[in-house]
Amino acid sequence: MGECLIETRGLTRRFGARVAVNDLNLSVPAAGVYGFLGPNGAGKTTAIRMLLGLIRPNAGEVRLFGAKVAGNRASLMRRVGALVESPSLYPHLTGRENLEVTRRLLGAPRNLIELALDTVRLTQDANRRVREYSLGMRQRLGLALALLNKPELLILDEPTNGLDPAGIHEMRDLIRRLPDEFGVTVFLSSHLLSEVEQIAGHIGIIHEGKLLFQGPLAELQTRQQTQLIVGVKQLDAASECLVNAGWTIARTIDGMISVLAKTPDDAARVTRLLVDQQIDVFHIAQAQPSLEDIFLTLATRTSRITDHVVAAGASR
Amino acid sequence: MSLLRALHAELLKLKRTLAFRVIFVLPFLVATLQFFIAWRTKKFPADFNIWDSLPLSSMQVWAVFMLPLLITLETALLNGIEHSDRQWKHLFALPVPRYSVYFAKVIVAQALILISTFILAALIVLVGIAAISLRPELANAGPVPYGWIVKHATFVWLASWLIIAIHTWVSVRWSGFPIPLGTGIAGTFFALFAASAAIGKYYPWLLPMNIFLEGRGTAALVLGVAGGIVAVLIGCFEFVRRDVLN
Repeated sequence: MGECLIETRGLTRRFGARVAVNDLNLSVPAAGVYGFLGPNGAGKTTAIRMLLGLIRPNAGEVRLFGAKVAGNRASLMRRVGALVESPSLYPHLTGRENLEVTRRLLGAPRNLIELALDTVRLTQDANRRVREYSLGMRQRLGLALALLNKPELLILDEPTNGLDPAGIHEMRDLIRRLPDEFGVTVFLSSHLLSEVEQIAGHIGIIHEGKLLFQGPLAELQTRQQTQLIVGVKQLDAASECLVNAGWTIARTIDGMISVLAKTPDDAARVTRLLVDQQIDVFHIAQAQPSLEDIFLTLATRTSRITDHVVAAGASR
Repeated sequence: MSLLRALHAELLKLKRTLAFRVIFVLPFLVATLQFFIAWRTKKFPADFNIWDSLPLSSMQVWAVFMLPLLITLETALLNGIEHSDRQWKHLFALPVPRYSVYFAKVIVAQALILISTFILAALIVLVGIAAISLRPELANAGPVPYGWIVKHATFVWLASWLIIAIHTWVSVRWSGFPIPLGTGIAGTFFALFAASAAIGKYYPWLLPMNIFLEGRGTAALVLGVAGGIVAVLIGCFEFVRRDVLN
């Protein structure tokens, strides 16, 4: 296994009686994009804030580049860029001036500003005040701020939140380019599986503060049962017939039955079974499980955190 | 080094802000008031010397009323920049020590208050010269007391360090104007009652005014500077340890 850029061990944070992050053991390998997936309120932002030292954990530790963050924050953060939720910008300053503020704080060379602007394609609008920027432009400027110090690790918390479809596409395209063009490892949080699966090689799934899955995306996909969405007129009869034949019905929505399937041939089997019982099938399709389905499956089947990425973390 | 970088960044943040304009506006208001008093007064006493009266009354108006108001506004505006777009999380995620950010905020506030106080000092001189040219009966006023004006402007500023430290912490701790403004109004309001009491010698919002009162000047300087430094350190200690939840 390669080097882990982010490792957490037993990371826990409570707010009063509520446990926002519960015994989190992350292992984020170097290179590529790591998708940190979870519904709103799952604990993603709290975990990210602990990674960055913005809030202190109640228990556990964070290691970046193999070193503890506690006591080494300043030196480690020199290698990290971050965009936490919406970008924090000074609206009365221009895009370039916003970068200049951060450049001065970092003591970075001036030429990095133009490089960052060019990377996020904001050079043309760099001298406009940020209050005139669209949400997409603000988000790209936030990304430029995170990239300013040429980080080895980029932590992005829901970077496409609130963007229109064009903005989402543009941001996704930008993030996808970063590992190859700049050698950056991207840690990307999102509540959208569709967004993460297009760019991430590894994912971690967090739900109610606990890590339910961690590993290559392909690994998760093979563990998930495909669903067959079957459209029939005789809903009750079809349901009864399928259950009697040993199929598992996940749910029934809008006159459609969702059946858990294991192999591609199952679509043919289900169709044949229903037709043999004189039940007309007017629609059948395979559906990727939604994030909700994945959470439900993992939450019920996984009682312990599975870690398929890095064995090194376990031996430490 | 990190403090110098933070200060350098703070200067750029001031660009196009109200925080920068206010330091000119408030001294101008005091100077305008003094100019109209000098210009419209019907008859001056025979032994009246404008350089005995104008610098003292201007500085006292400044110390007791305008300076606390300026400090309230400046600190709220300087730190409001960071609250407005939830900048703290960005600042704290950078490899910059938090104490540098806090000290830079305090130093910039102190510098702006100093500049504003010396703008008033310069305007006092201009108002005095203008009044003498408009009212021939004031012509025998003698030389401009530059030494007295510079000394007292500096002392008033030093005595205000404790108020600056308190307001910096309040405006860093709470976003928006209500709490910082409420603190400023309450501090200035209770100063009216504390002025004649023994406690007035130690009351933070009265320290700049105490510079001009017999037997209170030294205490005001010591308490303003030493108390200001201690208050900054306490505020910084809380700031460094704070969780950034927004």
